[in-house]
Amino acid sequence: MVDISLLYSAVTPVRVFVALCALLVIGNLAIRLSNRERLQFAYNTAVLAALLCTGGYMLYTGAAQSIMGLVSLNPFSLFFAVTMTAAMLLVSTLAYAYARRFDDFALMASFSLLGVYMVAFASSLITLFIGLELMVIPTVFIVLLSRRSLEAALKLFIIGSIAVALLSFAVVTLYGSTGSFAIAAAQGSGSDAMLLFAAILFIAALGFEASVFPFSILIPDVYEGSPAYATAMLGGINKKVGLIALLYILMLVFAPFRQAFIVVAALSVVTMFYGNIVALMQHNFKRMLAYSSISQAGYIMIGIAAAGPAGVGAALFQIFAHVFLFIGILAIVAWLEAHGRTEIDDLIGLSGENRFAAAAAALFMLSFIGLPFTTGFIGKFLLFTSAIGAGLLWLAVIGIINSVISLYYYARPIIAMYTTKADAEPRKMEWAVAAVVAVCLALTLVLGIYPQPLIHLTSGAATYLLAI
Amino acid sequence: MFFPLLALVPLLAAMAVVALARESMRFGYLAAGASLACLVLLFLFGLPYGSSTVTWFTVGSFAFTITATVGPLNLALLAIVFVVGALVHLYSAGFMKTLSEQRRFYLEMIGFEVAMAAFAMAGSFILLFLAWEFLSLLSYLLIGFWHVRERATRAARLAITTVLIGDLALLAAMAILWNLFSTFDFAAILAALPSHATAPLFAAGALIALAIFTKSAQFPFQEWLPEAMEGPTPVSAFLHSSTMVKAGVFTAIILLPLLSVAGLTGVILAFSIVTAVIATLSAMRETQIKKVIAYSTVQELSLMLAAVASGAVVAAIYFFIVQSFYKALLFFSAGSAMKATGEESLDRVSGLRANRLLYVSTLFGVLSVAGLVPFSGFFAAAGISSALSSNLIVYAIISLVGLGTSFFIFRWFFLASKPDRHGTTSQLGYLGLPKPMVYTAAILAVLTLAGSAAFFYLPAFLSSTGVAYLAASIPLSFGVVDGALVTALFAAGAVLSFIAYGRARAQRTPGKVRVLAKVAYTHRVFIFAYGLCAAFLHEISEGVGVFERYLDDGFVLLGRATMAAGRKLRLVSVGSVNPYVIISAAGVVALLALAYLVL
Repeated sequence: MVDISLLYSAVTPVRVFVALCALLVIGNLAIRLSNRERLQFAYNTAVLAALLCTGGYMLYTGAAQSIMGLVSLNPFSLFFAVTMTAAMLLVSTLAYAYARRFDDFALMASFSLLGVYMVAFASSLITLFIGLELMVIPTVFIVLLSRRSLEAALKLFIIGSIAVALLSFAVVTLYGSTGSFAIAAAQGSGSDAMLLFAAILFIAALGFEASVFPFSILIPDVYEGSPAYATAMLGGINKKVGLIALLYILMLVFAPFRQAFIVVAALSVVTMFYGNIVALMQHNFKRMLAYSSISQAGYIMIGIAAAGPAGVGAALFQIFAHVFLFIGILAIVAWLEAHGRTEIDDLIGLSGENRFAAAAAALFMLSFIGLPFTTGFIGKFLLFTSAIGAGLLWLAVIGIINSVISLYYYARPIIAMYTTKADAEPRKMEWAVAAVVAVCLALTLVLGIYPQPLIHLTSGAATYLLAI
Repeated sequence: MFFPLLALVPLLAAMAVVALARESMRFGYLAAGASLACLVLLFLFGLPYGSSTVTWFTVGSFAFTITATVGPLNLALLAIVFVVGALVHLYSAGFMKTLSEQRRFYLEMIGFEVAMAAFAMAGSFILLFLAWEFLSLLSYLLIGFWHVRERATRAARLAITTVLIGDLALLAAMAILWNLFSTFDFAAILAALPSHATAPLFAAGALIALAIFTKSAQFPFQEWLPEAMEGPTPVSAFLHSSTMVKAGVFTAIILLPLLSVAGLTGVILAFSIVTAVIATLSAMRETQIKKVIAYSTVQELSLMLAAVASGAVVAAIYFFIVQSFYKALLFFSAGSAMKATGEESLDRVSGLRANRLLYVSTLFGVLSVAGLVPFSGFFAAAGISSALSSNLIVYAIISLVGLGTSFFIFRWFFLASKPDRHGTTSQLGYLGLPKPMVYTAAILAVLTLAGSAAFFYLPAFLSSTGVAYLAASIPLSFGVVDGALVTALFAAGAVLSFIAYGRARAQRTPGKVRVLAKVAYTHRVFIFAYGLCAAFLHEISEGVGVFERYLDDGFVLLGRATMAAGRKLRLVSVGSVNPYVIISAAGVVALLALAYLVL
């Protein structure tokens, strides 16, 4: 007779999570063979939602444990994993509405999400390395799902290859100095030239993943050339994972290396200026958003440069804010693209055609600028104050000047959308897209007005990370 | 706390504007109703004075708090916002006749009203700054409302470039004050002020003064305000005469103790006097119908600041209140004249007399600006010149400015109301003006006259409060000499103006040069003033205006250059990966170099 209670106690949240991960890939593969897109969407969504719930539960109960020294569950990694699962849920809903073959997308995305989890839970450099590869390579195929995106996919592949080369070089250099693949504080003073070399290689390699200037000059081409749902995934998930990995490595391994943080501050400055100034001249909406996304990476790096719990917490807050802002605005872009509208001038008359889309896009723009009552404001406020607190007043001032510059180009789409065109006819939005936009908008506004829960989570994750 | 909720009413109206299925011409009435509802709430719950603090969020030990406060000045500004706001929305119902513009226009106007109400209740730097930023953004959107017009977008960009300089200055001042006092609360900062200026305090004060100068269009930043007249007329009447541009004066009043400890009142006085002179001279030669009034607004703002800097806070508050009404009135008249004749230049606008009610209302506004006895403008002018009489040079300059004001405002009036050149078309235009446009002007004309009564009630209204900025104020009063002087200057200006522009021979399209020649011929006094001051001062301010334009162009050019470089780097065919690899490698090398240099 089997003891039921024994069976019950064997089911821990961690095991459920791992089982769900396996189910995600195996199930998607099986259904892909049967060629039924609607079933695939239902299954994919269900498993993702289950993953989200399990991850959220673990985050809520504060589970922290390590498995075989390769994987570690803690508030930081769980926050990261939950955010990205939610983002993936939204992106896959968007892809269902617009991807030429959703079944292919689902399969690739499930592999990619596994990679994200590996990065999130990595406690070894090998796990991190494999995770990043697993995340990036399926994305190339996702971009390729649209026939016109060959060039974008190849450029993405080039970026990925250089990043891999640098990352393996960085891992090997670190291993050569420390003799261990574990992600743990590197023993050695800040003057150890070899370790510093490794630190810079990590910054450069992850800078490719995180679209930091000057490694990001191909990124706008990729964003513009990819279908919008793939762009949403690139900017909302992949680039943010790169940033979080950068933060993770720098805080855990290279915390005593002051120079590494100065390099990050310098990169942050050039990235902000590059993104914001070039965005001023864009006519293509998606390309403008690409540059804007580059500049947002620059703002987030202010928090990384500030280090300390305040800086890391601020960076995490802004990452969370920008993930959903970006996916939300890209959902609208995807909808516009389906009607053949890609330029900012094509936005003219949008408020007459679909008021929800226009209002949502305007609010997303205001949040990008950082106006109060949106997550963008809280994020920027936390970032700038953390920089001031860390003695980096000049960096905060440059960040503020950049926010001011960004006002010029974020206002343009708003003005265009609320200009009325004579022959505007109402256009309905697909339910899937409207749902994605609504969720992103709700997150932006609710957490912008009542940010305390999110601040609680991000500062908890930051304190945990710095206490390791 | 009731007060933060006040802003919800216009917010609700805005939601209604969004929610209504189709564009509607009735949005104006809806918005006006919301403003009036706010006004009623203000009367019901405005007193007693006090403040309340709400904690928005906390990070570690830092609590982000928002303080709303209500004192006499806050209440006055709130009342102005809602009274003028209601009238402006009604006026707009007649003015904005294109159906397709309705929703965007009222959404932005109501958004502005909410931000302005929030600004009026600011009890700490946080709320002040948040509202200040929203005001900048909405002003930018509203000036560039007709964004298909190249000049409108240019004017909007100039305005926001100027104002953002002040925003940055204000933010820097906040950082310094936080280091000094560890609080953003006005009352706490003013209570903790040292008796002598320290270098950081001086720096903070100077940065605040810079912010005030940009927002309230003072020398050398005044050029953005006349340019802002590219926006629709209701916007000019609301933002650029009666509410937003006064944000600087408002800040100067509530932070007066800080500014005087920092030793900056003399500087502010000097700059405001210079601005008053330039604005008066500019108004005398301007020919665009709205820009004359805009220069007049700049001049009035500078007189308010001069009064504040001299410690005559009560006089400044009085002027602050009554000016809102007659200045909005003149903008309404200008807008009506432009709509009736389809012209913008004073050389071509004519026939204001065709609509009796509008004509009389406008005359009320003109007489008030010029300073005739029973109108509120007279009391304001007399109160301020009496307060400034201790400094003889300032007093003399203020008197000359008063003469100039009377001259240019009558010039404006005579030119606008000269007999009709267009024949019956414009006469029909005047008579066919939408009713809301004429009646709102009439209401403001009544308020202009009624404002005179406030002169006698205001001191009692203010005396019951223990607000820091009122403690050391010079009382509001004027002697017989001041009153007589203001009246004499009014008469002199009116007569000179009549000689130059009121008589029949001046009615032949007086071009700019011919007008100047005529002035030179008849009134040597003015040309002397021109020769002495205008050439010099105007050059400086134009220079700053040019600098701001360069700054503005600089952004665009920088973007274009980076863009061109980016295009060269862009891989046309995927075969040429080399440039990208080279740049990336150079990036890695640069990072290494930086890291080892710091080492």
